[in-house]
Amino acid sequence: MPVEIPKDKWPGSVRTVTIGALPKDGGTRKCTVTVGGETTMPFLHYEGEIPNRPVVAIEIMDRQPDDWSPLLAEAWKDVMDDPAKWAVAAEQAGADLLVLELSLNNRNGEPTTPDEAVSAVKSVLAASGLPLIVFGPGQAEADNALLVPISEATKGERIVLGICEDKNYRTIVATAMANDHLVSARTAMDVNLAKQLNILISDMGLPLDRILMDPTTGALGYGIEYGFSVMERLRLAALQGDKMTQLPMIVTPGYEAWKIKESKVGEGVPETWGDWLNRAINWETLTAITLLESGADVLVLRHPESVKRVKRAIDELMSAKELV
Amino acid sequence: MSRYIATRAIRGANALVKEAELMLNKALAEKGPDTKVSFPNTAYYLPLIYGMTGIAVEKLSDLQPVVKHAKILLHPTPSESHWTPYLGETLDSGMATLLAAEAIEAIRFVYGQQPEPIPGLVLAGGTSYPSLDTSENGHGGHLNGPIDDIQLRTWGIQLVDGRMPGFAAIVGAAKSNEVAVKIVRELQRRNILCFLSGNVNGRSIIHQLMEEGVELGYDTYTVPFGTDTISAIYALGFATRSALTFGGLKAGQAREILLYNRERVFAFVLALGEVDDLKYAAAAGAINFGFPVIADTIIPEILPTGITRYEHVVSMPFNEIEGADDLERAERLVQKCIEVRGVKVKLAEVPVPVPYGSAFEGEVVRKNDMRVEFGGKHSRCFEYLYMAPLDEVVDGKVEIIGPSFDNIPSQGHLDMGIIVKVAGRQMQEDFEPVLERQIHYFINGASGIQHIGQRDIAWIRISNNAADKGFNLEHFGKILHARYHADFGAIVDKVQVSIITEPELLQQWLGKARTAYDYRNKRLADLTDDKVEEFYSCTLCQSFAPNHVCVVSPERLGLCGAYNWLDCKASFNINPTGPNQPIRLGKVIDPVKGYWVGTNEYAKIGSHGVVQEVSMYSIMENPMTACGCFECIVMLIPEANGVMVVSREDPSMTPAGMTFSTLAGIAGGGLQTPGVMGVGKFYLLSPKFISADGGFKRVVWMSSVLKDMMAEELRAVAIREGDPDLIEKIADERNVTTVEELLVWLEEHNHPALMMEPMF
Amino acid sequence: MALSGIQIYKLLPQTNCKECGFPTCLAFAMKLAAKQVELSSCPYVSEASKAQLEESAAPPIRLITLKSNGYEVKVGNEVVLYRHEKTFYNKSGLFVKLHTSQIENALIEETRRINQYQVNYVGMDLEVDGIAVEDDTHDPAKMKAAVTAIRSVSKKPLILISSAVDVLEAGLSQLSGETPLVCCANSTNWEKFAELAGKYKAILAIESDKIDEFVELTEKIKSKGIEDLVLIPNGKNLGHNLILQTQIRRAAIKANLRALGYPTLAFCSSPVEAAQAITKYAGFVVLDEFAAELIYSLLVLRQNIYTDPQKPIQVQPGLYEINNPKENDPVLVTTNFSITYFSVANEVEGSGLPAWLLVADAEGMSVLTAWAAGKFDADRIAKAVKSTNVTDKLSKHLLILPGSVAVLSGEVEAELPDWEIRVGPREAVDIPKFYKLALQVN
Repeated sequence: MPVEIPKDKWPGSVRTVTIGALPKDGGTRKCTVTVGGETTMPFLHYEGEIPNRPVVAIEIMDRQPDDWSPLLAEAWKDVMDDPAKWAVAAEQAGADLLVLELSLNNRNGEPTTPDEAVSAVKSVLAASGLPLIVFGPGQAEADNALLVPISEATKGERIVLGICEDKNYRTIVATAMANDHLVSARTAMDVNLAKQLNILISDMGLPLDRILMDPTTGALGYGIEYGFSVMERLRLAALQGDKMTQLPMIVTPGYEAWKIKESKVGEGVPETWGDWLNRAINWETLTAITLLESGADVLVLRHPESVKRVKRAIDELMSAKELV
Repeated sequence: MSRYIATRAIRGANALVKEAELMLNKALAEKGPDTKVSFPNTAYYLPLIYGMTGIAVEKLSDLQPVVKHAKILLHPTPSESHWTPYLGETLDSGMATLLAAEAIEAIRFVYGQQPEPIPGLVLAGGTSYPSLDTSENGHGGHLNGPIDDIQLRTWGIQLVDGRMPGFAAIVGAAKSNEVAVKIVRELQRRNILCFLSGNVNGRSIIHQLMEEGVELGYDTYTVPFGTDTISAIYALGFATRSALTFGGLKAGQAREILLYNRERVFAFVLALGEVDDLKYAAAAGAINFGFPVIADTIIPEILPTGITRYEHVVSMPFNEIEGADDLERAERLVQKCIEVRGVKVKLAEVPVPVPYGSAFEGEVVRKNDMRVEFGGKHSRCFEYLYMAPLDEVVDGKVEIIGPSFDNIPSQGHLDMGIIVKVAGRQMQEDFEPVLERQIHYFINGASGIQHIGQRDIAWIRISNNAADKGFNLEHFGKILHARYHADFGAIVDKVQVSIITEPELLQQWLGKARTAYDYRNKRLADLTDDKVEEFYSCTLCQSFAPNHVCVVSPERLGLCGAYNWLDCKASFNINPTGPNQPIRLGKVIDPVKGYWVGTNEYAKIGSHGVVQEVSMYSIMENPMTACGCFECIVMLIPEANGVMVVSREDPSMTPAGMTFSTLAGIAGGGLQTPGVMGVGKFYLLSPKFISADGGFKRVVWMSSVLKDMMAEELRAVAIREGDPDLIEKIADERNVTTVEELLVWLEEHNHPALMMEPMF
Repeated sequence: MALSGIQIYKLLPQTNCKECGFPTCLAFAMKLAAKQVELSSCPYVSEASKAQLEESAAPPIRLITLKSNGYEVKVGNEVVLYRHEKTFYNKSGLFVKLHTSQIENALIEETRRINQYQVNYVGMDLEVDGIAVEDDTHDPAKMKAAVTAIRSVSKKPLILISSAVDVLEAGLSQLSGETPLVCCANSTNWEKFAELAGKYKAILAIESDKIDEFVELTEKIKSKGIEDLVLIPNGKNLGHNLILQTQIRRAAIKANLRALGYPTLAFCSSPVEAAQAITKYAGFVVLDEFAAELIYSLLVLRQNIYTDPQKPIQVQPGLYEINNPKENDPVLVTTNFSITYFSVANEVEGSGLPAWLLVADAEGMSVLTAWAAGKFDADRIAKAVKSTNVTDKLSKHLLILPGSVAVLSGEVEAELPDWEIRVGPREAVDIPKFYKLALQVN
């Protein structure tokens, strides 16, 4: 006896966003990444379309990071002090695109200058043909001082500039508009705040198909359930037709998972925490998978092994399309 | 539209287009149609022409269709005898003027007549002209001409992200050099860009500023375009490129570019000195962009708002401006420009000699540390905020009327009144109390200052420490001015503060303030659900309860008790994309239970489809949901044919067999549970309190803390309900904790609920 | 259309007998309307009412309880698809799989490790729920020996896995008085399996990769009188499993399809599979192997996902020492909302600066929320200071309040006259900076 499985037919869909521009479109990328377009909740191929697979970005920095776990230093070895080499290594490790994060201070402990930032970005663009996301150091003034010249120096590349937050988005959005880039909009784990920032950004005239939203999340054990539910709610709202939530979601499980004790610390922790390296990779992978299941379109990771595992999971989740 | 203006603008346009045509024909003949035409360092060709018509002018012959297009836009001057609306014609003429002006400047570039030479000028940063020899310092000087793309980006971003509030296109010459300098300084002080052009009888504001040694150029935010009116076109070229660059718009999207400027570019034209035909025509062009024109001479005004955000043309004859001297008049003139265009200016810091920030909000100033106090046991302190028309408020003015506390002994006291006068185009009388309540938070933010209470029971202390650092009465005003602009800039344009300690005046103002307090109390009491057309949503709590929406009406405040209808209204005006949105009521479906088309529709959207209908006045049918922040829970006691009300502060057992915290689990979470509802405690006093189910008479049990806290108000409710002893008939946890006991109590006290019709 | 609490109340006896465990009939009716209790808890409901309440009578997913001597694992009883709609109620049971082929010593050793495993997470001790024994020898004696060996060191509930009835029976015979789970029944063996489950009062798990087949089998098995069932959607890969799990959950909750109204079980051979199983609906998660770091991460994930979104996780109120504070180090006060605690603790810890972190009981709310609700006031802060005796540990009494409750500083000063009260930053992120600038600690 055949059973009628209830299917949700949603009136709305997620917008499609393309990151990076090919030479014919005014950029220099060898490929672009397109995300979004879903008409159903994550991976439910039996009731809707998931035209674009979620992608994995690898996070690199403009110089050797000060506070990353030694496990990551071990994984990337000597490329970490050269963004161009790091970019190449990340590409080889399977990244679909790159996230370049700028340091607040340069190697000498002085504030990173716009010239240094621009040259880091240019060296990454020259070394790898992958689409690029650039995050400022996360302080409004420094972000604006560095991102504007980067934006101008890379006009037409369709880079994603971040991070737009409610207190500092206008300058980044303005320069993205002027130079054909995209932006990433981050709000603190709240559906309405996310929506509000999207409204404010699109009010400035930036088309919605040039915005990614970052609903933020906590790492596994550190508030992931909030991120998980906020993302499910955002995605449900998008499918229900709420235009201001119909943006692909970018999340940073790598950053979240690697800043906590479970990943950072190998000694002096309870024995029941098990093997350090496996635990750290598990932590990053599980954080990522949980967010993937709640609607993430771009996952930013740090460890090559996590990248491998998450990509394999995406393969399997996408290939189920043929099974239904 | 004034026929006078229309006539002159149309006449000016006709003349300029004619001139452009003649110049073009001459240039075509002399230089040839393929002669290159361009402005320096721009990728937008002749930007205004490119934006408005989509034509990318690269050579002289490309200008032919432009001039042709300008001619089509021309109209004959209005006839003396026929009165028709001229707005459309005038605006068309304005656009024709702009096209012609840009064409003329382009041709002048061909002839090497641009940038305009002016001996002695060295620009502090400007468009670069490598072909011009500027080496002879002081002799080969020239004006800036059009702004290049590099500068456009730098300033454009600041205009878009709000660091730069707007730009002023100043055309003509000021009354005196002194006035010219003052005007520019006032604008610079506010980070507003100054574009300079035009002249009156050959004398330009550029000459005036140069004579006074004012540095001009990109670095000082002052750009001298040229000494004729035509060069003012560069300001609009700049505006057009802003829209193309930062608005994501394409060449030829004329309407969108104009709208973009109207909505986002806070610019205005300041016409100094006599206005001739050409200036009228150019002004009409600027109005197309939504930029108003303020003239310091007598010209007919165009006040009805429409194309521009506010008035189109404002006349403010310089000598008639109030003010002690010309400098003060100049200041007022600039202030007026800013008001007219609605440019918002933010103050970076609160200018007080003590640290300021919310971290100091809770500070207590003890008697021993106290320099002086206002209010409290020994003196009187009151606060009163009211709105006034824009021209009656001098922004930033702080007046001290009466003695300061210098002569008051340490730990002494003084009577004081703080009078705040605000004005704003978006300001409404209903926001007065909302704004007035902020005084408490604003003043408390200063380190060493303690503020308690409000209205005429305010109580302020200044610590020795703060007084030693120089904190005085004036600083109360400075704080309020800065904070109202910073936090309520959306509704407040001007703030003026008077601090009164002079006894007689203080009594007068106290009287006025009390009249206003009474009036506001009554207004609040009179503000009923049927007198408004919209309620407000509140989704502040959706982070906890994703599908919960509060519907706040005049007679039903938010369940947290923190937001009433007026608060929500003000909040919406301050933050139009925020958590409080107006809900247009639309058609009433059931006035008794409180259903409207609008509220039902909103319930569906706001709850993401979980709630289909919401009744405003019933607990039994589709009651409003709750997040978890409610002050009280109302719950049906079926056995008693009534409801109980339990307060958050009451930890004891209720007749429902559950304590507040257990009940909270049933009431919260954004789910509709008929028979249970979370409410704000003041809702109990409302005539609309579960009015569909019988109203306040249904209350059979109530936490004693509520009875105590609102004793007076509840008595009034009992009288309103026609049963003055009603409160005594309501049981509480001191005498009843079970249903059985409750029933006995109700019988004994003859509670009206027992006689009412069944609740379900 | 589901009935409201009041509609249900009308159908109840209205005697407030309290035998259902609720204080009044109305309270019971409201729980019933929320599908959080079963109608059968009411001993006096009339037959006529029962019929009318059929739809509201039971949660859409059957509650299944695995029992052993002293242990219980409850799964099922779920009512929503997304946790924000209400909450996920019964945490996925986490089991580790052993094999009958393992030699006895290894089996005992492994069981001991699993049994002893306990990890602390925000003040809670988390454990593995039980052990699954898989028959890979097709030998009843081996199963019997394995179960005996396991039972010699662990009393945790068991899952027995075999395709052979006699092997399972050999195991079950050692588990009298318990309610273990046996699997896997399928379309060919279901009759014998049903018989076995009936005989030993075991819970029966059915395996398939087709929804239709599940429906067919549960109905057949139910007709044999076996009601405690578990479904094992055995898809071809991660994606297929997600779809099967979702379809089962949806059909049960949205369409109230009783034939699929059972909890599910997932066999997981990788961390990724286990993570998906926990987030997406599995009632039981059976891991291929035991590894402390994996178990820890999964237990935490399960704890997170199954938190009631409206009742945030709390940490134990009290005094926490960070970076070995000394008697002249400051006391930072915050609330016992776990996320608040973590953000503060992490920042301080990461900065390497010593501090006493005083966690006040604010009923698990964040600082501002608790303050607004009156759960984090001067009184509570003073109480926390006193109850932890922190004063005695210190020579310098410096208390730092969160910046967002600066308004409390005056009252706290009044409550704690011997303390210096300072206002710290609003955001935890700024604590290191605050240390450096305001406290001049480097």
